[in-house]
Amino acid sequence: MLLTMKPTILVLAIASKFLRLFFMTAFLICGGSALGAPGVYQKPSDFVKSSLGQIPATRAITLTGAQQTRVRAILGKNYKSKAIRYWSAGGKTAYILEEIGKTEYITTGIVVKGGKIDAVKVLIYRETHGGEVARDSFTRQLRGVSLKVDSQLSKIPKNIAGATLSVRALTKLARLALYLETLK
Amino acid sequence: MNPEAPRRRRHRSRQWHRWIGLAAALPLLWLAISGILLNHAATFGLNDRMVTSGWILRHYNQIPGGDPIGLVVGDRVVAGWDGLVFLDSKQLPLRGELRGAAALKGQLVVATDEEMGIFDGSDELVLQLDELSLPGVPVEGISVQEGRLLVSSKVQWYRLSEDFFTFEEFPGIVSSMPPDLLEANLRKELAEAIQTRRAMPLSRVILDAHSGSLFGWPGWVISDLSALGLVVLTALGLRLFPRRRS
Repeated sequence: MLLTMKPTILVLAIASKFLRLFFMTAFLICGGSALGAPGVYQKPSDFVKSSLGQIPATRAITLTGAQQTRVRAILGKNYKSKAIRYWSAGGKTAYILEEIGKTEYITTGIVVKGGKIDAVKVLIYRETHGGEVARDSFTRQLRGVSLKVDSQLSKIPKNIAGATLSVRALTKLARLALYLETLK
Repeated sequence: MNPEAPRRRRHRSRQWHRWIGLAAALPLLWLAISGILLNHAATFGLNDRMVTSGWILRHYNQIPGGDPIGLVVGDRVVAGWDGLVFLDSKQLPLRGELRGAAALKGQLVVATDEEMGIFDGSDELVLQLDELSLPGVPVEGISVQEGRLLVSSKVQWYRLSEDFFTFEEFPGIVSSMPPDLLEANLRKELAEAIQTRRAMPLSRVILDAHSGSLFGWPGWVISDLSALGLVVLTALGLRLFPRRRS
């Protein structure tokens, strides 16, 4: 009976051929996508225009020493520039903010209205992993969120496995936008 | 039933075992040694040892490609290399191809085709301007006249306001200094500074060499083939394990 059975090695050899083909194809595809260009979801100017209905004149908040300290408490470091631009129209303010996820900047558009977040959109995502934060299902959680006295968000968004650093970066930017709104 | 059949199969299995073993020996040896090193990375101090080899850093895309361009503003060297911008070998948080740099009232203005940064005396970024605030992108060049910043875009010069947020067309004749190929000694200094600053921890390099990803897809394929080879070797070994009937 043993002799009538297909030799195990033959089965393995055939299986390994398919496995090899599968892995090679999979890695070629995955490798190619990992080296791709940054994901541009929306141009910052298009975001401002679609959020505010126009592109208003640019304004900027130049952070004082004390304000820098608050920003440092939020981000864990200074913001990349001392002056942060914003655009206001119709009671809404749009901020284009950047924060590093793991190694690359995530460019994010945040609209604040009446001290609460009205919209969040990841505009340019440059990291190789964690792009799930750009999905609506994540950014929707930040809508209507405000800043508590301790500079924390009134509602913490749920973490995404494998995108923890990007989630943290976006949460920090939401806190920063709400803080900047108090400085205008 | 052919009485020679089991013997032939056994012989074939041994042949496969021998040749697969030979082919997989080196990669498996590397996997075993690197695995041990990674498990004891802290003990061996692999997290603190940094790799500065240009060959390795190129695999991590840490060494820019092509030729660097730059210009001298006062005693500062502003350089652009493969989409990255440097000030005296320190990377600036600007993206794009360097278009120009100019000193303006104690500040340094650096422009790429995509954006512009205004840096204070301590090289801190004061303000970053992009397509939302500039007269147009791509920026073609910048200049300073009568204490005001001029920006060229779409074959037209614009004069920016003191706060940089508004602009008007500038009809006058403007001379600007475009960046040129960086001199050999400056290029060498910049390359050395990049290599030193972007050094990778040895543990990270070993981890990526262990998984094969350091060498791109060929590395992954070799790692996978070695792993599959190990599975086949195990199966063949088990097959050869029973004692031969006398």
